[in-house]
Amino acid sequence: MDMATLHSIFTVLVFVGFIGLVVWLFVLKRKPDFDEQANLPFADDQKPKQQQKQESDHE
Amino acid sequence: MSQTKSLNVDYNYTVVRLFAVTTVLWGIVGMVVGVLLAAQLYWPALNFDTAWLTYSRLRPLHTNAVIFAFGTSALFATSYYVVQRTCQVRLFAEKLAMFTFIGWQVVIIAAAITLPLGISQSKEYAELEWPIDILITLVWVSYAIVFFGTLVKRNTSHIYVANWFYGGFIITVAALHIVNSMVIPVSLFKSYSVYAGAVDAMVQWWYGHNAVGFLLTAGFLGMMYYFVPKQAGRPVYSYRLSVVHFWALIALYIWAGSHHLHYTALPDWTQSVGMVMSVILFVPSWGGMINGIMTLSGAWHKLKTDPILRFLIVSLSFYGMSTFEGPMMAIKSVNALSHYTDWTIGHVHSGALGWVAMISIGAMYHLIPAVFNQGRMYSIKLINTHFWLHTIGVVLYIVAMWISGIMQGMMWRAVNTDGTLTYSFVQSLEASYPFYLMRFIGGCFVVTGMLIMAYNVVKTIRAKDGALEPVAEAA
Ligand code: HEM
Ligand code: HEM
Repeated sequence: MDMATLHSIFTVLVFVGFIGLVVWLFVLKRKPDFDEQANLPFADDQKPKQQQKQESDHE
Repeated sequence: MSQTKSLNVDYNYTVVRLFAVTTVLWGIVGMVVGVLLAAQLYWPALNFDTAWLTYSRLRPLHTNAVIFAFGTSALFATSYYVVQRTCQVRLFAEKLAMFTFIGWQVVIIAAAITLPLGISQSKEYAELEWPIDILITLVWVSYAIVFFGTLVKRNTSHIYVANWFYGGFIITVAALHIVNSMVIPVSLFKSYSVYAGAVDAMVQWWYGHNAVGFLLTAGFLGMMYYFVPKQAGRPVYSYRLSVVHFWALIALYIWAGSHHLHYTALPDWTQSVGMVMSVILFVPSWGGMINGIMTLSGAWHKLKTDPILRFLIVSLSFYGMSTFEGPMMAIKSVNALSHYTDWTIGHVHSGALGWVAMISIGAMYHLIPAVFNQGRMYSIKLINTHFWLHTIGVVLYIVAMWISGIMQGMMWRAVNTDGTLTYSFVQSLEASYPFYLMRFIGGCFVVTGMLIMAYNVVKTIRAKDGALEPVAEAA
């Protein structure tokens, strides 16, 4: 097999892989499946000690 | 603000703090050198007839300082912070993390000494000589071990998308750096590339463009996917889009480098591949930008009161601008006009000062109080002042370069009916002159903003633990 054929096969594989990814994300998986992941930045909220006791006053 | 639970994982913030402080420090140094360069283009006497103050030696000092000292320190700081917090685990191999800090500072100092001395491999963004390149490799491999080690021992079931971007950036930069730095040393400070001719050029711009794509883009997108949602207090607009964004960007960027070599000795088809891939690159880039900006949907009012969020969101609009401009400049007929002109410099700084610097500054204003046990920065007002100084500075800079660049392109290609050139090069230089002054003024605005940031950071760090209480949320 020459390089050109190999490259063509690789290109097709990447393309099919990408389409597969999109199908998996938008058809097979539902939105709620990702909600937990999307909330990861908030999952460990560790507030400085001061902040825990009072939330709302100050300017 | 939505806090679900209050975990008390004992994170390692020491190395994050160190990198955060050096981000500000090197940001100022790099940008001051930028202003000096801008001034030299207007007042050439400013090199004082001293070899190591000449434009040719200070220019690589500027690019190395802003990209590798300022930008990369910001990436180290935020990636160590984000990976710990989204994996809810302490950093892996902490001693090695400390080594990345010290090693990286040594690299920066070595660069600051060798470049003005004229020691250089003469490859743009890869100027540093081989002994420094070896140290970079060691630091980078350690960085990868710390980062991926932390991912492996995580306490969460998923890996948050920001870490995908950071991870992609770390792996790709390692590969780029090693391949492009293949040289045969002839002495301690001199080496020759193992590649020859057009291949050398192609390897260099494969490196150069992916340094833009993975360091100046993917890394900072990692920052975006954590700090924008966090500062806005709401999850990213679409998590699915972020996954598509990641894979599309990774798959495309690698192929676009040849747009830096249009109309050169590179085979024609390679140039065309680069052009086509660059144009397609517009799509995922804007997908990512929209994903970031739309995170604010329903909470736009926060932009009015929160200057940190404004830094982050405006950086995204500059990202959108430069990723619209880039694909356009990659089209061969447009590049025939833009190449070698100030238009390229304008594009670079709308990406660098608009996108990279603004997202880093925004992230630092969020991160610094968090890692120094404070609820907020010392002065929110000063952040607002910084925001306006920076924005005005960037706009002055890029508008000046657009006008100057397009004018240069038009003047260089103008021909008389008998086929001779209408303008000499010096005439085009004279026409650019006022715009160089305008860029210098823009640069002064930006640096003033950075100095205000430094003051604000020092005040925040020196305040008593927990003395600065968080801003009340306007519900
Ligand atoms: C105060 C802010 C800044 C000023 C005044 C400034 C000024 C300059 C000047 C005068 C040049 C040389 C242009 C030429 O050769 O015609 C330059 C090049 C460059 N600057 Fe800046 N700069 C600033 C900030 C930044 C930042 C923050 C970054 C990156 C994060 C950056 C990245 C670059 C790059 C990559 C180049 C090389 C462009 C090329 O070769 O096409 N600059 N800058
Ligand atoms: C879709 C995205 C982008 C594309 C297709 C693109 C395309 C281009 C093109 C065509 C050039 C001019 C090459 C030449 O004529 O020599 C260029 C230069 C440059 N771009 Fe972009 N760009 C993109 C995004 C960005 C971003 C986000 C940054 C961030 C900082 C950036 C930084 C640079 C730099 C530093 C150069 C100057 C390289 C040099 O000559 O030293 N680009 N880009």
